[in-house]
Amino acid sequence: MIANSNTEPDARADIRPGNTPLDLRCSGAWVLREIELLERKLSGYAWPDRGQLSIDASTVTAMDTSGAWLLHRTMRSLQQAGRSVHLLGLRPESEALLQLVASHAFTAQTTAAPGMLARLGQQSWRNLLSALGMLTFLGENTIALLRSLAQPRRIRWRPIMHNLQTAGFEALPITGLLSFLMGIVIAYQGAEQLRRFGANIYIADLVGLAMVRELSPMLTAIVVAGRSGSAYAAQIGTMKVTEEIDALRTIGVGQLELLVLPKVLALVFALPLLTVYTDVMGILGGMVMARAQLDVSFSAYLGQLDEAISLSSYLIGIGKAPVFAVIIALVGCYQGFQVGGSADSVGRQTTVSVVQSIFLVIVTDALFSIVFSWFDL
Amino acid sequence: MNSARQPAPATDAVIEIRGLNTRYGAAVVHDNVSLAVHRGEIFALVGASGCGKSTLLRETIALQQPQSGSIRVFGVEVVGLNDEGALPLRRRWGVMFERAALFSSLTVSENVGMVLREHTPLGPRLIDEIAAVKIALTGLPANAGSKYPGELSGGMRKRAALARAIALDPELLLLDEPTAGLDPLSASGIDELVRQLRDALGLTIMMVTHDLDLLWRAADRVAVLGEGRILGTGSMAELSTSGQALISEYFHGPRGRAACEQAWKQK
Repeated sequence: MIANSNTEPDARADIRPGNTPLDLRCSGAWVLREIELLERKLSGYAWPDRGQLSIDASTVTAMDTSGAWLLHRTMRSLQQAGRSVHLLGLRPESEALLQLVASHAFTAQTTAAPGMLARLGQQSWRNLLSALGMLTFLGENTIALLRSLAQPRRIRWRPIMHNLQTAGFEALPITGLLSFLMGIVIAYQGAEQLRRFGANIYIADLVGLAMVRELSPMLTAIVVAGRSGSAYAAQIGTMKVTEEIDALRTIGVGQLELLVLPKVLALVFALPLLTVYTDVMGILGGMVMARAQLDVSFSAYLGQLDEAISLSSYLIGIGKAPVFAVIIALVGCYQGFQVGGSADSVGRQTTVSVVQSIFLVIVTDALFSIVFSWFDL
Repeated sequence: MNSARQPAPATDAVIEIRGLNTRYGAAVVHDNVSLAVHRGEIFALVGASGCGKSTLLRETIALQQPQSGSIRVFGVEVVGLNDEGALPLRRRWGVMFERAALFSSLTVSENVGMVLREHTPLGPRLIDEIAAVKIALTGLPANAGSKYPGELSGGMRKRAALARAIALDPELLLLDEPTAGLDPLSASGIDELVRQLRDALGLTIMMVTHDLDLLWRAADRVAVLGEGRILGTGSMAELSTSGQALISEYFHGPRGRAACEQAWKQK
């Protein structure tokens, strides 16, 4: 900082009336660090009402672009108010700078921020477009899938296997653990109520039905959406930023066939399998808790389970999983394709993909409940 | 030149590099390199790809440390300086990176304004205005300020990066490949701009470039880096008549000759 004070002249920037009110004197260093003070002085300056103003700048010791801008702005606003202003005595190099700034001066255009209603409209329009885009994406993928099925040679097995491993097999520990804990929690909460009525054995019904029919498919879908859906969005988004998607198109490789369909197909297989696994783990969690809290033996628990869970309940639970899988994979991929060229955009779309897929999974689950209750399932 | 800006040290060298050694493992990048950049000049560093030009630039702005040697900027030793110690210096120089390095979550105007917001007590209105002036100075259209870097072309991004580099009216401007990836028209705009900035703001400019046209038209002095050392320093006219094999190879390739003829025609 010591060196800094040497390079800039110490004189404070100033503007004050000279011999007459029409005669102004600028002095000191009109540089960035003085600008704030200067602007305050200028905005509070009592300009004389009429007459030709002359500004004497011969004692200005230094000027940078911000100083030049302030001087230019002041003179311009005076001239726009119909005053004539003369500038004298500016050093040639500062004069050149002032000319440079003046020639590049923008016409102050403050675009007013859109109002509440306009923002609401824009947001609604964007959401509508996004929904339409999603629908288009679904359609394109359906066509690509049908085309692949017509020509099975075009199905890319290697990425499907890879996705089965990353989205399915590698998700086993976390989904299993969460589901086991979920079983424990439900059994623990239910135990107190059931013991009061001496209905200990019904713990199996409680845990079994809740897990198999509702919780386990949804829990698995949510974990997979966070784990794999976000990865899909980030992968495709980054490929978009680095123009790999464009390169694929140039080479003539279908982007949907290579990037989207394998993910969808793999997840459609993996998610029901994961759901079966989490069913088992959840029920195991309940079983451990039933033994610990309610003295229900493992064999009694399993025997009751046989009566509690009908085949239809089990299949309904498993049957939701492929639908969730399609939602998660398509939303993740779609948001990846929406990335627009920057690192920031990758982050934003990844977040959107997770939020949207979890939201859609829960909404779809609710819709399923309504439909099933219509059909008395 | 602005005579009000007195040089800090006795010498008028803004950058003074002495006995610089840089190695990446066994690979020697700089072997006892010394050079000086004087106040108010446009200094260019050239050399084949991978000869350590950008490394030298990064060491000068304390982003990277050399193995040994001394780099003095504004008379302050940069080697061994931590981020906190470098801060006063960093406010006095502006850097434009090769790939622009604009913050993608901010608009161009916010990118430029951010520097002012961090380092000055100015109000938002004045910051916006000064940012707009800087953006206009680099030749960007007025509506570019409200755009995000992702919406700009490569050339416009370069200009926006330059606008951010000059946001604080630095005394020293360091440019890494200012014209790389630009069309000839935009590139010649940058030549013009670099000279104008130097003349109007009294800047010292150090740049790393491959652009022979830019060298002929803007650079006052050029240093050729090769084999880990400075092969030669001088004006383009001097260097182009140099007998040194590597230098003449660099300047007398087919493109070098064309740029030279072009430069002579314009004079």
